[in-house]
Amino acid sequence: MAVKIQIPTPLRPHAGNLASVEVIAITVGEALGELCKLHPAMEQRLFDNGQLRRFVNIFINDEDMRYLENLATPVKDGDEVAIIPAVAGG
Amino acid sequence: MIDFKSIDRYSRQMRFHGVGEEGQRKLLASKVTLCGCGALGTVLANNLARAGVGSIKVVDRDFIEPSNLQRQVLFDENDVTENLPKAEAAARKLRAINSSINIESVVTDIDRTNIESLCEGADLILDGTDNFEIRYLINDIAVKYNKPWVYGGVIGSNGMTMTIIPNQTPCLRCVFEAAPSPGSADTCETAGVLGPVVNIIASMQATEAIKILSGKPETINKELVQIDVWENTYRRVKIAPLLGKVDCPCCKHRKFEWIDGEFGSQTTSLCGRNAVQISNRTPNKIKFEDMAAQLKTLGDVSFNKFMLKFNAEDCEFTVFPDGRAIIKGTSDIDRAKTLYARYIGH
Repeated sequence: MAVKIQIPTPLRPHAGNLASVEVIAITVGEALGELCKLHPAMEQRLFDNGQLRRFVNIFINDEDMRYLENLATPVKDGDEVAIIPAVAGG
Repeated sequence: MIDFKSIDRYSRQMRFHGVGEEGQRKLLASKVTLCGCGALGTVLANNLARAGVGSIKVVDRDFIEPSNLQRQVLFDENDVTENLPKAEAAARKLRAINSSINIESVVTDIDRTNIESLCEGADLILDGTDNFEIRYLINDIAVKYNKPWVYGGVIGSNGMTMTIIPNQTPCLRCVFEAAPSPGSADTCETAGVLGPVVNIIASMQATEAIKILSGKPETINKELVQIDVWENTYRRVKIAPLLGKVDCPCCKHRKFEWIDGEFGSQTTSLCGRNAVQISNRTPNKIKFEDMAAQLKTLGDVSFNKFMLKFNAEDCEFTVFPDGRAIIKGTSDIDRAKTLYARYIGH
């Protein structure tokens, strides 16, 4: 399944300065894994010893994956996976 | 003589079906604590005072600098010249805008020891801060005493807001379980910020406050709004189903770890050294490569595996991997905390 991963501005330098990356995957976890294969610097920004970092929030078509099936949430063609970090400034 | 105390000054707002005279009277009887009076805070305060929120407590630790004027709408060049604290300058403007409401200014650094008294009696808490340490404190207090609050954050052209009504919506820690570790996220000093996105986000926060305070909490936005005014995106991500679904230490287990001092920073003025040490207890190691990249616009940033050094605002910063920093060039703890939030983040 071809899904588009939206990369937030602070992480773009680690993903070839791209705003989005398209990958083939059947779950959210697999999609993020593919992203890290394409852009290895993303690995340590998103994961800590294989666990998703606690300040990284993932949304699938604007739904929080934590009330779906977390990283096992299935994805289908055209789905949009967004990495959304908290915004601190003010 | 013009009667500025008459409720008629709010006629256009009362004519709006969502508020009405009954809603206006509730607004006039309501009390708000505004935490932080910088970019978001000045827009929030301006909106609330004009709307007739009866009592506004403005809390801020900072002074006004020329670089604030691009987006902090209540301040002008005279305030910079007079070297006024933001809370005081804001209070003067707000009283000139609306003399019929009660404005209190408090010049202090919000921390776990004073947040409770600062928010005591408030019907709602508004977030005009620039860091997650204070936001998690606000969240703890809000959940503990069942008070609504409205989060807002801005950076670059990007902004975010969500409204929290304890036990009815997810709380901040349900959505953002942890703050990014120091140095891993942009700050307004490293990435800049556009004035318009500040106005949009704070205006949305103010609208949410008006809904709740005028007695229409059912109309709040229950989702997380994210806007990028440069990239032309508006996202409304669904977070409402997280309520009760995540194992939240704060609103599910009622563990108030930020008020209890289990997380957060500790500061000490280093006697005779004109320096302040800030320790950070957030258990995330800093990545110096990331921090150096964020800070490169400031000039020379050097690091090895033990420490990172840079200079800003006539101070020399030495940062350690655990988030501890020594800020040399000041012995003022409040200023050092401001500088820490500004350049190192959290």
